[in-house]
Amino acid sequence: MLNADVEVDRRDFTVRASIAVPPGGRLALFGPSGAGKTTILEVIAGLAAPRRGRIVLGERVLTSTSPPVRAVPPWKRRVGLLRQDPALFPHLSVRANLAYGGTVGEPELAEMAGVLGLGGLLSAMPARLSGGQGHRVALGRLLLAPCDALLLDEPFTGLDASLRRGLTDLVAGLVTARGVPAVLVAHELADAQAFADRLAVLDRGELLQDGPPDEVVLRPASRRAAELVGYLGFVPVQGLPEGAGLAGIHPERTLPGAHPDHGVVLTGTVSTRRPAGAGWEADVRVAGTVITCRLPDRPPDGEFVLTALDPPYFGPDGTAVPAPDRRPEQGRGQGRGQVRG
Amino acid sequence: MSVIVAAVIWIALLGPVIALLTHLSWSAIRSSLSAPGALDPLVVSLESGAVTLGVLVVIGTPLAWLMARGRLPFPRVWEAGVLCSLLLPPLVIGLLLIFMVGPYTPIGELLGHLNLSATNTFLALCIAEVYESAPYYVLSAQAAFSGVDPRLEQQAQLLGDRPARVFRRVTLPLATPGLAMGLSVAWARAMGAFGAVIIIAYHPFGIPLQIYTTLQETGLASALPFALVLLVVALPLPLAAYIWSARAERRRRG
Repeated sequence: MLNADVEVDRRDFTVRASIAVPPGGRLALFGPSGAGKTTILEVIAGLAAPRRGRIVLGERVLTSTSPPVRAVPPWKRRVGLLRQDPALFPHLSVRANLAYGGTVGEPELAEMAGVLGLGGLLSAMPARLSGGQGHRVALGRLLLAPCDALLLDEPFTGLDASLRRGLTDLVAGLVTARGVPAVLVAHELADAQAFADRLAVLDRGELLQDGPPDEVVLRPASRRAAELVGYLGFVPVQGLPEGAGLAGIHPERTLPGAHPDHGVVLTGTVSTRRPAGAGWEADVRVAGTVITCRLPDRPPDGEFVLTALDPPYFGPDGTAVPAPDRRPEQGRGQGRGQVRG
Repeated sequence: MSVIVAAVIWIALLGPVIALLTHLSWSAIRSSLSAPGALDPLVVSLESGAVTLGVLVVIGTPLAWLMARGRLPFPRVWEAGVLCSLLLPPLVIGLLLIFMVGPYTPIGELLGHLNLSATNTFLALCIAEVYESAPYYVLSAQAAFSGVDPRLEQQAQLLGDRPARVFRRVTLPLATPGLAMGLSVAWARAMGAFGAVIIIAYHPFGIPLQIYTTLQETGLASALPFALVLLVVALPLPLAAYIWSARAERRRRG
């Protein structure tokens, strides 16, 4: 179990985070660049000191700012950190890199090399490796060293998508097999979702939400969290428990046509449209605001009706409020909005 | 065209070496070097050069590392200080060393109590050579350490190495080619040290002073063989360092 409850001062804001990752658990810290995600990892690794906080890994207290004060140095933490730069030792062969941190025997090393697909590369020098190979060596080096927790700081950014997906699956599998807690930092939601069984949204040092990835994406706790996970439009709606509010519209959760049983039916006019992948992306003007939606076919000119699937609702202060149909006294489908542009 | 331009400049720069090799005759070399005691200065130069290198490694390496890692306040001031002794003409360094370690200074008196003297002794020769060569070593060692990515050291720490072990396993091996180059340039400077040496350490004779006095006493022709000796003695270490660091680089590229 990795428990970290820390406050770290940065130049323009304070990073506050409280995370708990069970053995084999995979937490993704997701947020925009500069939100303080890397800072949290550095504090856990012992590379930066928190102003206040307590970090416990298994039975060991790694950091404590309250008595008894503790600050275990990085080399005694047994915490592995993988960054975008694999930081292989350029003067050592792949074999020596893999064996750097551990007292591993040849069979163990060969087995890890096999798992990582590095079998034929053990005597190669790092300069000869491709980007994906370099990351696999760095990963193997961490896992062969005494490692009680794995920290991943956007490790596969810059690799192409299929390679990134393969490595992410590999790490996720190894983390589960080893039973170590893992924390991934990501600024791409898809990377975070592909890896994590739990998602924490961070913005300007504040932890906005923490929960299973589905829940965070489908039920963001606040308007800001919704914006970060990809809600691009907020449409005013009436009839919420608290009165007026906003429905968050995610481009990928819209359907053309009126489907009142599945969400909010919106009527607006298409202002711009562009091909996107195998379908279309359109900006639609609804109720004085513009929402973006992904559609399978080219949307028509003029009036356009679409359905936002089961959107999250936000009150005037920006925090999430229950959807109208979630109130137990109401039956399904009642209270769903009809918004006209 | 560019090859010709480069060749002309290169040959012009090599001019003195070419002149040395074309004006030497075997008989002159044999007669100069077979005189009794003719090779004593060579021994003095080698010994003092070795002591100088030892001192530079011991005092220059930590300073260079601290400067490279930005662990010192006002880093520019430290660099400027090291550069100072590079900017001072060696002759001036010699004069100033008299004021620093001469017999009538506090340091000189302290040395006197230990029955040592820092003028016209082997100690004085070493001091002069250290001052003439130190900035070459410290500045190139600083550059060598700066070239080691701190993230590699950080990673080594996270893999369980305490800082001293990180230095030995990561920092030092990666900086070694640069350190060797710096050390070999310092060696060449120490071998050829003349300006400061002639002021505070006229005795015991090293090769540069032997060349100078031979020139004064018997003329150019008999001085030249000693110039060849200087070249032969000063060159192998830089050359070896160069070849070795080039090989280390090649090995790293796989």
